[in-house]
Amino acid sequence: MENHDAVKGTISMRDLNVYYSEKHAIIDVSMDVLEKKVTAFIGPSGCGKSTLLRALNRMNEEIEGCRTEGKIFWKDVNILDASVDPVALRSKIGMVFQKPNPFPKSVYENIAYGLKIHGIHDKNKLDELVEKSLKAAALWSEISDRLDESALSLSGGQQQRLCIARALAIEPEVILMDEPCSALDPIATAKIEDLINDLKKKYTVVIVTHNMQQAARVSDFTAYMYLGKMIEYGDTKQIFENPREELTENYITGRFG
Amino acid sequence: MRTGKKSSSEEKYLFFRKKGIKEQVIVWLLFFTASIAVVVSAAIIYTLVEGSIGFFFNPSVNIIDFFTGTKWAPSGLNPSFGLLPLLSGTMLVAGGALLIGAPLGIAAALYLSEFANKKVRSVVKPIIEVLAGIPSIVYGFFALLVISPILQQYFGASYFNAASAIIVMAIMILPIIVSISDDSMKAVPKHLREASLAMGATKWETSVKVVMPAASSGIIASILLGLARALGETMVVVLAAGSIAKFTINPLEEVQTMTAYIAQVATGDIPPGVAVSAAFAVGLVLFVITYIINLIAGRVVLRIKRGGAASGKKSRIAQYIKKVSTYFNRLWNLLLRRTRDKKTSLQHRYLVGKIGKTSIATSLLIAVVFLVLLIISVFQQGIPGINWTFLTSFPSSIPSKAGIYPVILGSIYLVCLTLIFAVPMGVGAAIYLNEFAKDNRYTRFLRRIIQNLAGVPSIVFGLVGLAVFSRLFGFGPSLLAGSLTLAIMILPVIVVTTEESLKSVPDSFREASRGLGATKWQTVRHHVLPHAVPGTLTGVILALSRAIGETAPILFIGSLFAKTAPSSILDSFLALPITIFYWTRHPKIQFHDLAASTIIVLLIILLSMNFVAIIIRQRSQSRRNW
Repeated sequence: MENHDAVKGTISMRDLNVYYSEKHAIIDVSMDVLEKKVTAFIGPSGCGKSTLLRALNRMNEEIEGCRTEGKIFWKDVNILDASVDPVALRSKIGMVFQKPNPFPKSVYENIAYGLKIHGIHDKNKLDELVEKSLKAAALWSEISDRLDESALSLSGGQQQRLCIARALAIEPEVILMDEPCSALDPIATAKIEDLINDLKKKYTVVIVTHNMQQAARVSDFTAYMYLGKMIEYGDTKQIFENPREELTENYITGRFG
Repeated sequence: MRTGKKSSSEEKYLFFRKKGIKEQVIVWLLFFTASIAVVVSAAIIYTLVEGSIGFFFNPSVNIIDFFTGTKWAPSGLNPSFGLLPLLSGTMLVAGGALLIGAPLGIAAALYLSEFANKKVRSVVKPIIEVLAGIPSIVYGFFALLVISPILQQYFGASYFNAASAIIVMAIMILPIIVSISDDSMKAVPKHLREASLAMGATKWETSVKVVMPAASSGIIASILLGLARALGETMVVVLAAGSIAKFTINPLEEVQTMTAYIAQVATGDIPPGVAVSAAFAVGLVLFVITYIINLIAGRVVLRIKRGGAASGKKSRIAQYIKKVSTYFNRLWNLLLRRTRDKKTSLQHRYLVGKIGKTSIATSLLIAVVFLVLLIISVFQQGIPGINWTFLTSFPSSIPSKAGIYPVILGSIYLVCLTLIFAVPMGVGAAIYLNEFAKDNRYTRFLRRIIQNLAGVPSIVFGLVGLAVFSRLFGFGPSLLAGSLTLAIMILPVIVVTTEESLKSVPDSFREASRGLGATKWQTVRHHVLPHAVPGTLTGVILALSRAIGETAPILFIGSLFAKTAPSSILDSFLALPITIFYWTRHPKIQFHDLAASTIIVLLIILLSMNFVAIIIRQRSQSRRNW
């Protein structure tokens, strides 16, 4: 499969293969995710887009029986190499999940958790960073007076933005989002899409979505996957208006999936 | 419009056919069996209150002195009945057991739930279940004859001391804490762990800072249930802690707990009179305390569960708990000097994790080692004495001639009779509650009553058995009275396990049957019960295996001096746990060896019963094709 030529991307996947026991879930994927851009993975259910996303922060290793082969280069290091500590990696590559999963703690504690783990205990600093993260996630104005309340008392959209704030708090460079809006209503979705537009100024964003319109709205680059293979990857405009592969075109035009 | 004339138009009126009389009668019968729990609870309260009133109205008793006095000397010329020494004895032993057992149990559960692989789990979980199934009389034997001598030799403890009871009881409540905490932690959703890991937290940090707090309701409930268990424990403290009521916090001294005093009355060591009726007053206090703790346990779980999801409405208790926990948090951080930033390197965090993982694995090891030591010491002492003569002779005051033939028979008869009483009551109640009861106030009340019955200390059942079955019904110290007492004691267990097996039958079976026009009872009889039989059987066998090892409930009723096996249900009887009890504290030390031999016999019987239950469970599960 052809790579996007010219710009050398920030994260480069080369000959990536992921196996769940016997199932070959990701087949020979090679592609680049560019710095400070939004890249979307789209494709029908089961095509492997979530697995591909999770390969980037090595979350697949938490699943029993999952095997990853190939290389992923980031900052001149193969992050799949055994010498790379996934715990350290994940503080640079953060993740937001499909279903909002705030901890059953207060809003403040949810965000402070990541900070405390990385050694920040000074109360003033924590307050400052919590506020900063909530503002970055466009949530501060709504809950600045409710920081000590349980995170589970927030609405679904607020919870998801809290999860984004939580991920931002430890100052990663890359943010992975696994269908972040699929459990949310349209208004909350719109808020998060605005947020993503904002985030790409500072972070590299990779988003998995089954909503093609969302991919078209939000991303700079789009990758189309089908049955574990990367079929086509390129400029979002080009993918949606002028796809090179027939499979891509079939999916985009809704002929299946 | 009702059925009557047999005509072709009868078909039109099939829709209006009334439920048959038979169905009504069956439902009413089931309703009554379920309501027996209410009668039992009333009997318990009646027994305790009536006995207490008799005690308080005695001229030599002052109710204020009872609750505030510091001297408990019930026998003698000038008896004093100050409860505080008994209370302090109970608190010392139960508190000490909890202080040791709770951290050990939670640590073991943390390891089991978050770090142990499948192989370790499959070995350790059964060991924990075995620990739970060992009768308390065996723990009492171990405490008095193995642990206590060590404490006497190296720590200068007295012959009877609280510490031996504390140590043994810590291990005794371990299974409760481990299994409930383990269940709670396993129930924490995977996505919470993933959220933590995805933020660059280590596995240890995730387990301690995300999983444990999320499971806190279950963990706290397990601690409270462990405490209730420790408070109600009788045989260990009777054998090992002593019979002198003292107001002390020194565990190396002899103390007497509330349960031990009641047992002392049962064994006839107290002269008849006001001191005997004091047992009812003490029993009432004990009942109230354990009831309150069980109530708090239920409330705590509910509140924490709701507190996580609720928004504005926060009760004062929840706010108070929150305040306390923030203060503890600040204190903890201060202790660790965690108020400034620290460069916590990844290496440091991994080291913390390694140390943590090793320590909690050690606590699991402690439990396993304890069990091994227990079994080895009992077997070492008891195996030599087991021979055919021993099993076929009668008890005697000469150790070399003593045997347990009538004792074994007594226990078997007792258990069979208990089965006859407990199964119809328990299974009937479960069927009613799960299949027929509507969700109204009475049903909720019934469920609460049954739950409360499960938390009543076994010695209180002993008092009830004495007052109601022996005296009121006039059955005397007989097999009938003993089995009825045991039956009402294991009732909640049978109800719960039967309900579980009924619940495991898919609703689709019931719906299919009802959809064809069958009545509720027909549905239950033909489509639910057959599939629930293995689960029910397993539960009944396990409940009976508990009954056969129980001493306290039949302490008032079982006999020591009977010479022959009972020949009718109104005869007095011997039972294995009671014989073990008397022989363990016999002045002639050869009887200690015989006690060990009897323990082995009891354990073998228990093992066989559990084995049968497990086989039934395995076979039914493998046959299950839904």
